[in-house]
Amino acid sequence: MKVKNSEYIAEKKPLLKALLSRLLEKYEYASILACDSKAMRYSVSKRAGSTIAPDGVMTERGFCVKIVDKGEAAEYSFNEIDEDSLNSILTKIDGELLALSKKLPDAVDEFKLDAGVLEGESISFNKSTDYEEDPEELGDEGILSLLQGISDKIAAYDERIIDTRATCQYQKYSKLFLSRNKDLQENIMWTCGAVIAMASKGEEVQMSYKPVSCLGGSEILKDLENNIEPACRTAIELLDSETITPGEYDCICEPDVTGMIVHEAFGHGVEMDMFVKDRALAKEYIGKYVASPLITMHDGAATIPQVASFFFDDEGNIGTDTVIIDKGILVSGICDSQSAAHLGFHATGNGRRESCERKAYTRMTNTIFEAGSSKVEDMIASIDYGFMLCEASSGMEDPKNWGIQCMVTIAREIKDGKLTGKIFSPIVLTGYVPDLLKSISMVSDEIKAGGSGACGKGYKEWVKVSDGGPYIKARIRLG
Amino acid sequence: MNTRIIEALKKLEIKEYIINEKVTETAELFFVKKSLDVRRMKDSHLYQVTLYREFMQGEKKCKGNAVATVYPGMGAEELEKTLETAYLAASFVANAWYELPDCKNEPAPEYQPAEKLSKASMEESCRIMTEALFAEDTGEAEDEPFINSAELFIVSERVRIITSAGADLSYAKKKVNGEFVVQCKAPQDVESYKDFEYKDLMADELRKKVKRTLEYTKARAQATLAPAAGKYNVIISGGYMRTLFDYYLDRSSAFYVYAGYSSFKTGNNIQFTKENESYGGDPISLTLKADLPYSSEAIPMKDRVLMDKGELKTIYGNARFSYYLGTEPTGNYSDISVEAGSLSMDEMKKEPYLHVVNFSDFQMDSLTGHFGGEIRLAFLYDGEKEIPVTGGSINGSIFDVQGNMRLSCEMQEENGYSGPFAVYMKGVNVAGSEA
Repeated sequence: MKVKNSEYIAEKKPLLKALLSRLLEKYEYASILACDSKAMRYSVSKRAGSTIAPDGVMTERGFCVKIVDKGEAAEYSFNEIDEDSLNSILTKIDGELLALSKKLPDAVDEFKLDAGVLEGESISFNKSTDYEEDPEELGDEGILSLLQGISDKIAAYDERIIDTRATCQYQKYSKLFLSRNKDLQENIMWTCGAVIAMASKGEEVQMSYKPVSCLGGSEILKDLENNIEPACRTAIELLDSETITPGEYDCICEPDVTGMIVHEAFGHGVEMDMFVKDRALAKEYIGKYVASPLITMHDGAATIPQVASFFFDDEGNIGTDTVIIDKGILVSGICDSQSAAHLGFHATGNGRRESCERKAYTRMTNTIFEAGSSKVEDMIASIDYGFMLCEASSGMEDPKNWGIQCMVTIAREIKDGKLTGKIFSPIVLTGYVPDLLKSISMVSDEIKAGGSGACGKGYKEWVKVSDGGPYIKARIRLG
Repeated sequence: MNTRIIEALKKLEIKEYIINEKVTETAELFFVKKSLDVRRMKDSHLYQVTLYREFMQGEKKCKGNAVATVYPGMGAEELEKTLETAYLAASFVANAWYELPDCKNEPAPEYQPAEKLSKASMEESCRIMTEALFAEDTGEAEDEPFINSAELFIVSERVRIITSAGADLSYAKKKVNGEFVVQCKAPQDVESYKDFEYKDLMADELRKKVKRTLEYTKARAQATLAPAAGKYNVIISGGYMRTLFDYYLDRSSAFYVYAGYSSFKTGNNIQFTKENESYGGDPISLTLKADLPYSSEAIPMKDRVLMDKGELKTIYGNARFSYYLGTEPTGNYSDISVEAGSLSMDEMKKEPYLHVVNFSDFQMDSLTGHFGGEIRLAFLYDGEKEIPVTGGSINGSIFDVQGNMRLSCEMQEENGYSGPFAVYMKGVNVAGSEA
């Protein structure tokens, strides 16, 4: 089934076209992004009970006008529009918004933009993604009931499990993008969920988090059942984990850890708004080897069907599949429109906003390494002493220096080609990104990708992303 | 719109509710070096309506709640459907019954709205803070640090809270926040990221923060070595202090205690144990600071002592978890103040140390007690000379260090934290070079 059009956007579209027409009379470029989004979060916990609430960031109805006036870019976000308010919106833009820069210190100038770069070719469509089961039809009762069943099973697993959590989140949204040459509409739905088990020993509480996600509806929640046993077992195992001796080891990364390395360690460095600011080392490495020849990396809304798939980005650029690393060579970054104007590059469909209320930045979407040809069991057997890294927990980008800061929950010891059962936690991955990527010596023959969380730009601007890839074998500094 | 919402609630016979209305206006400037890349403004108006529903599930008396998002200009039919859907959802949320606090129109005397921000226009506020942002950015030589890029937000919010119990409360909140990146190109090309948030036009504070970051970044450009792996006496300073205290803040929340993630009890010393009480750490005295006059549940917020010399004085939290624990519902807090410690920065630096002034990202895991982060810039003193170092990471446990933590007498104030500028901890693990 296809996600339906938004009635709200359909109702407001004639008004938005009238507003666009008035703006185009005055400014060399004008566009309007409209969004109608319903995003819900559900959680059932043994101790904390149940919650149903709209997602505070992703639930919105709003509009964002972008104009270019004498080469200078400005945006106005608002969430109320009717016949009577058109003039006040135009007055706000022409008066207060454009006046914002007038009193700035003399030392500050303003970037002049070629508005033609923003417009692009004439195009019009209305597209929707598919789903099997609408979470709204499953209903709040159905979702909570399913989560309650999972929570009960986690709680029953072992008396050391002190709390449980089963979660579901979905977003169903429609976006409309209007400019002189574009009339684009898309209707998208994604759903994700997670099983969380928490176990304690003394003052220490350990947690295991096993997510699922899809571009689609609540059909994915059926997969949560498979995550109950692994989450419970891992949380209990962690109670006896040890602190690792810092050092450089042969490691095998599970696909979610590969995904974190793809996304955090390398992906942020090819967001080309960082090129504009000279904040990314990758700018100097286009055409050069940055990884093992076994590695090919992609990013794009069209790369794989996952939670960051869409038909056009928040600047009206069509979602694509960009090859970033081709057999170890860095071949391209990803780019938003404003950065494309700075760099004389082209937008790659990666201009994304947290919401209509926020600025667009270059952002990743679905980011992966391609599969290789090795079998996981052969990869483990190839290690004399090292670790299998599991359960990515957090990461931080460092595009300027390509320094790695990623955390995983578990390092499983490998000795003489076999997992010993001994585990270490928590684990910090450090080092220099190209050193790690060039050290990749084996890549498994299947990939897995998921997107249970959101990605920030620095410490804000959260957008939904997915990442993943194959198992990889690499030399990594652990702490 | 509030009247229409209340009428719809009456029609649907919804007896218990809280309406949170928020009107937000912002002015936003985005700079690349000293060039304005984009300017933005925002006007947003939103209603969050929390609906409560009492029901029985077998023998268990329950109270469920759900939240409806209401947009201005919503038609009558859609408004009613939105509220009705949320009210139905609340009937599936089978949480144990609890009482909402009886908050009437109580004044909140401790709340001081921003004086300068209230008087200045958006345009004028942008000018003042932009001047402060670039005031210290005067270097022109290749080895001089400069502001690479920055974002500045002037935010004005008006909040109104209406409850079915009769409270009708309003307040205005203003703030300035943003972030900047400082770059130094020689001898190595490096950068430092900092964010900031002030409750008023605190131009001098921003100027000082930029100056300090310019200095640190210049030092980082000189740093080539990572500290050798091992245990160090570590000093952590600046904005990371707030993160370190998250352990105490999180573990004294009613949610953590009720969920069993924390064994904290008021009256107990949560810092010192029989094992570590002789280690000579500074006893921590920490106060929760009210940054809003009322919580979203209309609870009047006031400053509260959380810890006094390591002893827990308050379990804080929202209505539900506080009721379950039998503690006073206080609302949730994010701002804190901590009393000064007993050691000066000079005293901290008498023995060999590793002073970390910049992490790529510093994290405290309140569940496991682990804290750490990758070192972007630290100063290593081996007893003879101090050198800048970069790379490697800190990996510690609050359980290991809280007995010996010494806090600085020098203080700082920013981003919802007022307290010691630095902490000194003995024997912290550092993953560094294999020297």
